[in-house]
Amino acid sequence: MKRAPLLKSYTIFYLVFLYAPIVLLPIFAFNSGKVVAFPLQGFTLDWFREMLSDQNLRTAAKNSLIIALSVATLSTVLGIFAARASVRYRFPGKVPLMGLIMLPLVLPEMIVAMALLVVLLSIGVPLSLFTVIIGQVLITTPFAVAILTSAFQSLDKSLEEAAMDLGETAWGTFRLIILPLVMPGILASFLICFTISFDEFIISNFLGSGQPILSVYIFGQFRFPAKVPSMLALGTVLVCMSIILLGFAEYFRRRGIAKAGGKDSGGFL
Amino acid sequence: MTFSDDRPTMIEFKEVHKYYGDYHALRGINGTIKAGEFFSLLGPSGCGKTTLLRTIAGFEDISSGVIMIDGKDMASVAANTRPTNMVFQSYAIFPHMTVEENVGFGLRKDPRSKEEKAKAVAESLDMVGLKGFGKRAAHALSGGQRQRVALARALILKPKVLLLDEPLSALDKKMREHMQVELIKLQRQVGITFILVTHDQEEALVMSDRIAVMFDGEIAQLADPETLYRRPATKKVADFIGTMNFVPADILSESGNSVDVDAKGLGRVTLDIAQAPVKSGDSPVVGLRPETLTLLYDDQKAPERETAGVIDEVIYFGDMTYYDVYLGGTDVEVRLSMRNVPGRPVLDVGTKVRVAWSPSALVLFR
Repeated sequence: MKRAPLLKSYTIFYLVFLYAPIVLLPIFAFNSGKVVAFPLQGFTLDWFREMLSDQNLRTAAKNSLIIALSVATLSTVLGIFAARASVRYRFPGKVPLMGLIMLPLVLPEMIVAMALLVVLLSIGVPLSLFTVIIGQVLITTPFAVAILTSAFQSLDKSLEEAAMDLGETAWGTFRLIILPLVMPGILASFLICFTISFDEFIISNFLGSGQPILSVYIFGQFRFPAKVPSMLALGTVLVCMSIILLGFAEYFRRRGIAKAGGKDSGGFL
Repeated sequence: MTFSDDRPTMIEFKEVHKYYGDYHALRGINGTIKAGEFFSLLGPSGCGKTTLLRTIAGFEDISSGVIMIDGKDMASVAANTRPTNMVFQSYAIFPHMTVEENVGFGLRKDPRSKEEKAKAVAESLDMVGLKGFGKRAAHALSGGQRQRVALARALILKPKVLLLDEPLSALDKKMREHMQVELIKLQRQVGITFILVTHDQEEALVMSDRIAVMFDGEIAQLADPETLYRRPATKKVADFIGTMNFVPADILSESGNSVDVDAKGLGRVTLDIAQAPVKSGDSPVVGLRPETLTLLYDDQKAPERETAGVIDEVIYFGDMTYYDVYLGGTDVEVRLSMRNVPGRPVLDVGTKVRVAWSPSALVLFR
């Protein structure tokens, strides 16, 4: 193949441009200067300390955790039903229905958030963490369905029939055969939905009614220059967490497919 | 090749129909399968043989009719309580379990002690030739080993009927022939009724006590292998099983149970009408298997009838040679097989030959 040096350097430049700012995050998080600018000053853990002692931040983190756990659980459960139904059964209106479930992937989130806000207010539902959860489930469910569909697809139907044939009930078959074989997919779906929910901003901002939620809180704190270094420390923690969680998710997804004896098709990493 | 007909009935089909929407998959299946029989469902893909097997297992509901197993109507009996077990085409070995756990899966609800169950698993593995494989991970097995695990897993429950859905189709030729013999031996050893689904007519002939040949959702013929081969009931069955030459014939006269026909290239011959109810005005065909035709050498005389011919094609197989021969100056071509013996040369294309045949080997078709 002919080398294209220009294309290669462009690619490198592009990747550096995209990812260098993320690398700057931890650099300045450990920098003792109060201003985020080069040259670097001394090494410090002060910003992490400040971050941990911030009461509002703790509340925001707790709320985000509640939201992310609920969203990940709900969308994964919904994803299991949808994926199982779409892989195993034929029913009228299946194609448009699955399309509708996947639609939020391409719909502008801003539109979804505004539409939900209008509807919720007009039917008199007070905004709370609960409304944030409902909105985010709409966004994360397509991811759950995509991951779980690949998990269910790699499951041979005759495995279920074999279990029934050997005397198991439908529930026993689900528990002993289906669940263990799609469990890696379920874990992957849970972790990815959790990550998406954790740093989701638009819906949290629109439907959160000013409750401290991590992403919204960070955005607010950026207005105060003195708070920026501790926000960078927080950012560092979140980046590390995201990478670890996504790494786990992909590991489980691949292991699941290998275990069920299938071929890898797609995935997010 | 004989099967005593006095054994008790294990499975009985009465007018079994199955529809998938508008598609009529089973069109009135009738017949019985005897206890301890090695029974095959043979037919091309889409003939309904797998559907029929799955209705026995309980994986498919039937639209109408009755399936009885060991005298009980299966209509309200679910798959997990039927006295049948299945070896799947894909083997369906549970990939997240060991060989032992796979084989012991059906014993989960068995009241026996752990030790007794472990013993049963070991015995079952021993029976299929997988002694000492218990601790292996299921996904690390070869195709032949998976097949044996599937067999052990199904047989450990001592089912009344073992259902085998094209179990040999995923194996290579050598392994397949080896497993055919092993399955026959296994079946004799355990004495369980085996029902095999296959599209391979040779496999069905080799393994079965009786065979049901299916086309388009119907049983075209249910008979033992020899009858099926020698006296196929229809042209379609004859064509599906082995090689059959078809010669057009005209009806000359009928008299009671026999009919005189003029078979093109063979001449006038009297045939039993019980084979196929033909009457004057029909244009039947007669069938001849290649091995019932013999080339006559030098001054050999035909024991019964003989016809002149010209060799059109020679196909050499080592132990056998197939000759395609035009009969008696007509455009009717038949294939015949001759064993190659020392001192008898393989003949060339264009050689004028004499073909010996026997009227009793002819099969009449409408």
